[in-house]
Amino acid sequence: MATRTSRAASSAPLPVLKRLLPVALLTIAVAWTSTSAKAADEIVIGASIPLSGPLAGFGSFQKWGYSRAVDEVNKAGGITIDGRKMPVRLVLRDDKTDPNVTAANTESLLSRDQARALLGSCTPALVNAGALVAERKKIPLVTGCNPLEAFKSVRKWNYAWDLFFHEPELAAIPFKVLDDLKLETNKKVAIFHDNGPDGQVVGGTLWPQMAKAAGYEVVQNASFPVDNTQFTSLVAEAKAKGAEVVLVDAITPQAVSIRKQIASAGYAPKLLVIEKGAEPVQFAEALGKLADGVLVGGYWDPSFPYPGAKDLATTFESETKLTFSQHIADSYAAAQILLDAIASAGSLDPEKINAAVAKTDKTYVVGPIKFDESHNAKLPLAMLQWQGGKTSIVWPADRATGKILFPVP
Amino acid sequence: MPGLDVIVNALISGLLLGGMLALTALGLSIILGVMRLVNLAHGEFLVAGAYAGLFLLQRTGIDPLVGLLLIGLILALIGYPIYRFLLAPLAGKGSEAAMMTMFGLSIILQNLFVLLFSADTRAIERDYATIPLMLGPISVPQIYVIGFAISVALIMAVHVLIARSRFGSELRASADQPLAAAIIGVNVSRVHALTFCLGTACAGIGGTLIGVALSFTPTSGATYLLTDFAVIVLGGLGNVLGTLVGGIVLGVLQSVGGLTLGDGYRDLVGLVLFLAMLQLRPQGFLGSRA
Repeated sequence: MATRTSRAASSAPLPVLKRLLPVALLTIAVAWTSTSAKAADEIVIGASIPLSGPLAGFGSFQKWGYSRAVDEVNKAGGITIDGRKMPVRLVLRDDKTDPNVTAANTESLLSRDQARALLGSCTPALVNAGALVAERKKIPLVTGCNPLEAFKSVRKWNYAWDLFFHEPELAAIPFKVLDDLKLETNKKVAIFHDNGPDGQVVGGTLWPQMAKAAGYEVVQNASFPVDNTQFTSLVAEAKAKGAEVVLVDAITPQAVSIRKQIASAGYAPKLLVIEKGAEPVQFAEALGKLADGVLVGGYWDPSFPYPGAKDLATTFESETKLTFSQHIADSYAAAQILLDAIASAGSLDPEKINAAVAKTDKTYVVGPIKFDESHNAKLPLAMLQWQGGKTSIVWPADRATGKILFPVP
Repeated sequence: MPGLDVIVNALISGLLLGGMLALTALGLSIILGVMRLVNLAHGEFLVAGAYAGLFLLQRTGIDPLVGLLLIGLILALIGYPIYRFLLAPLAGKGSEAAMMTMFGLSIILQNLFVLLFSADTRAIERDYATIPLMLGPISVPQIYVIGFAISVALIMAVHVLIARSRFGSELRASADQPLAAAIIGVNVSRVHALTFCLGTACAGIGGTLIGVALSFTPTSGATYLLTDFAVIVLGGLGNVLGTLVGGIVLGVLQSVGGLTLGDGYRDLVGLVLFLAMLQLRPQGFLGSRA
């Protein structure tokens, strides 16, 4: 009896499966057809960006920048493809600040969402993860938010394009600022950097080289995991060694903790540079007065003499009621470059779009963009300083919008 | 080799920080000790406490340290329906179902935090959180001293509650022999509900201290959950005073690790200790008991 029952139970699903299979196949076919039909009526571009996780502060600005560029094109009637105006649809997926998710999202954007071209995520680990998928699938991807050496070092790119700053230039700025503005210190430098790709390049290699070349002594160079929370030992050591210049490369949560722990240790370096993490306004919001005096390299400001720069920041602030970030500019420009390339190609063929991206030679909101043989477009840099909850450009002199607070208050 | 003042600084900071870590682990320890539940959403309750402290300050101007008990009460009130509607129905169905429920809840809470509060990095801005306490050449963060004092006071209060009160004896009975406790008239379900609320309240208070001393994001909870597991394994599963000892030992040894290997190796030191303790003395320094 037991055997018969179990046999009946084990064979029961088969007729059900037989009945359901055609329905399932039909459903898949209808879904595929409708997706294809929809994709044929519009230009789908996709982006996997960090809308949650530690880099969400960057992702929110990227979302706005990408969306803004797409909205403008759609308001103007779309892009002409094969003689027909088509609207652009931007599909965004949250990569949760996880490169594995970025790669999976990029696969989904291409296979499920039928994206014909891509925009990048933020920071080398995330951007490169998505770019490698794009490269394998031979789909063009335009990105900002990825320092150029960290991008270039991965491979010889054919379909990925990056507009951002060049790490050696960024690493040199603190020493140029100290020299040009004649800031007096004891020339002792402490470097704290995370062990992410850009942290290792800037903090592990370039800053020590630049410090030596500029006649400074590196008394401490400490690295830590990207998600570290405690920095008391390295702060105590830097204080004990009397470093008056502190250079930090860390993402925002760690940047906030480091600044707090420097203050709570009674350590008062004269110059404090926090690359990467001190850039978003959330850094200043989380720290209040303690953010004042912190320096961060910047590649964009509304005061830069490029078309639409001031309007972009004004529009962002009036729409979101938030303070602008420079990430709205590189994301907006990356999307514009991709959309211009699609328009120029007049086709949704990825090869034609990619060829059009390569020919980009135009001044965008971040400055003149022309990609070199490594698929890099270098953005000029300035030094920004947090002053009263806003950033002021304090170097170079010809772009300065404020005077440097020195020593750090 | 760092100078003597740096070493002493690091050891004292480690001890004080360890006290705070103990408070962040207390809720996890109580719930594990009494309910045999690995609360995988514990980190999210910490983060909820940090948000509660932040918004209490922003909306009412009440200093988060003054409002700690209120924050604990809010977290306890959040904890009750979670127990009542998610955990109580799973009673008697094995520990896996409840553990996976809490894992699911942790994901939901992370996404809820992003939805409600954005994914931004936050910190509770207080002057006393960034002032050093100077004792000659030794300087330690004042917030660590404050956090340590609050932590010790709260842990002792919970210890007295469990050791001396009627609720405490019911709680111990429910932890040791839930069936026998039910037979002699202890309402085990009520004890579990109150224990869960106490655990979430302690997590909320610990999270507020984290928010004041450091920084947090919607996904910060996972980092602290890992550290808290090490604390309760070191101190003894479910042992309230052991949690304090475990926290202090972990804090000091992490500081030694930070000094000798670099701050980047703190978590490694904690995890090595965690595994070594499980192998050599799984009952922890003070033994396992509620």
